[in-house]
Amino acid sequence: MMDIAFTDPHAAKKMKAQQALYHVIDPELFVNVVDLGLIYDLDFEKEDTITVTMTLSTPHCPMGEAITTGVRNAIETVFPERKTDINLTFNPPWSFEMLTEEGRAQLGV
Amino acid sequence: MADINIGKAPPNSAILPFYATGAIAFWLLCLLLLLGADSFTAHYFNPHLLAIVHTAALGWGTMIIFGAAHQLLPVVCERDLFSPAMASLCWYTLTAGVALLVVSFWNFQPGWLMISGGVLVVLSAGAYFINAVFTSRICIHYSVARLFIVTSAAWLLFTVIVGLLLAIHLSHPFFNKNHLDILKLHAHAGLAGWFLQLITGISSKLVPMFLLGKSAKEKLLYYACILQNAGLLLFLGDGYFWGINGFHVLLYAVIAAAGIVCWLLYLYDTFRHRIRKKTDVQMKHTFVSFLLLVIAVLFIPLLLFAGNYQWTILYGTLLFMGWITGIILGKTFKTLPFIVWNGHYKTLSGKVKVPLPKHLYNEGWVSWQFRLFIAAILLLAAGIIAGEAVIIRIAGIAWLSVASLYLLNVMKTLLHKTKTL
Repeated sequence: MMDIAFTDPHAAKKMKAQQALYHVIDPELFVNVVDLGLIYDLDFEKEDTITVTMTLSTPHCPMGEAITTGVRNAIETVFPERKTDINLTFNPPWSFEMLTEEGRAQLGV
Repeated sequence: MADINIGKAPPNSAILPFYATGAIAFWLLCLLLLLGADSFTAHYFNPHLLAIVHTAALGWGTMIIFGAAHQLLPVVCERDLFSPAMASLCWYTLTAGVALLVVSFWNFQPGWLMISGGVLVVLSAGAYFINAVFTSRICIHYSVARLFIVTSAAWLLFTVIVGLLLAIHLSHPFFNKNHLDILKLHAHAGLAGWFLQLITGISSKLVPMFLLGKSAKEKLLYYACILQNAGLLLFLGDGYFWGINGFHVLLYAVIAAAGIVCWLLYLYDTFRHRIRKKTDVQMKHTFVSFLLLVIAVLFIPLLLFAGNYQWTILYGTLLFMGWITGIILGKTFKTLPFIVWNGHYKTLSGKVKVPLPKHLYNEGWVSWQFRLFIAAILLLAAGIIAGEAVIIRIAGIAWLSVASLYLLNVMKTLLHKTKTL
């Protein structure tokens, strides 16, 4: 799960991006990608690019392409002047512990 | 994006025709069941029952499974489908082949029409086999699901080739074996080779995904693969060369059944370790279908030793109308809305508010479909056991209601128009 530190110089931008990502819903689980814990990191170090490090609930997820496209679209909607790179990783693999409290509540866990 | 291929789905034009045709075939199957109710009280080798079984096995079961398998193969292998064009060829040949076969069985006209139908089905199975083998050949990660997909494709090809030979044999006899014995081998190569192994492989991927569950007991799936294949190979070899012997068959059935138990234990372990506690109606369909499979397998001693054909018909009914139909009725609404949704909304997701896949079909209809399915299979089983065509006709009406709801829901999904919320 992604944590945004207040001391992070890009904290405001990261929070803006995170707000946008709350609108990207996993079509199968009906929970947004942030509360599912799919977003590992948002990198604003480069001037013209935002790098999103994220995962999927399973490497074989048939909706994988739709989810990564949704993440790209959401970020580019709030930061139209920047390019979005998706760094898809399964290291560490997604696990149930990555769900937020809200994600758990929405899944009825 | 990082160097990870998450498996690109083939174009919808290569997949959706299978779902549309399968739904129509299911409706026709239920109509034939209603019209041919008397055939369920006669010996199983009768024209109407042969037409009904081939509509169920090829027009319905294989048609929908082809659609789902072509969609899931790239996902399992994390690679693109080897040839979407071959998937389309698969659909054309299967649709034409089933139509010819069913018409010639219903009117019982052995000859060139039936043989042509058989040839087309063999071409379809061959195209599917090539796609399955060549897509999985470049699989990034070895997995037991891939193994099941390839073995089941090989069994399908074997089954339809034997079926073609049987169709030729009907008009130009050449087998020196009992036709009915070879028919049993043909049927079980299809049931335990094609359907069982494909469903084992695909469900071992889909069920954990849908339940958000994990099992550390993947070895069970390898045991399942070995036992299911060993039981089937022994049954086919022994049955062909030395004739079908009840006690031998029982032993092979126990071996194959142990393979089924291993697979179901794996799924149960996944279910126990699931995060998604709420079970939707599609998953309930799946669980009921597994239960019907287990009941059908438990009937094997009866059909071997009771010497009454009604148990054989009940066994086939539980497998085709219970197990295979049950799993497809549920899984259709776990796969088709997502395939259609991807086509409409993949590029819009994250930009604007879009409907979810569950909004593309009517969930209420699926609940009614589930209730009617339970009533229909119970009525049909009761009618077969009692040998009463009237009960089977009532069951036929229930089946036609299930098929109508299913067809309407599938068409509602397929004809969805893009919209934003």
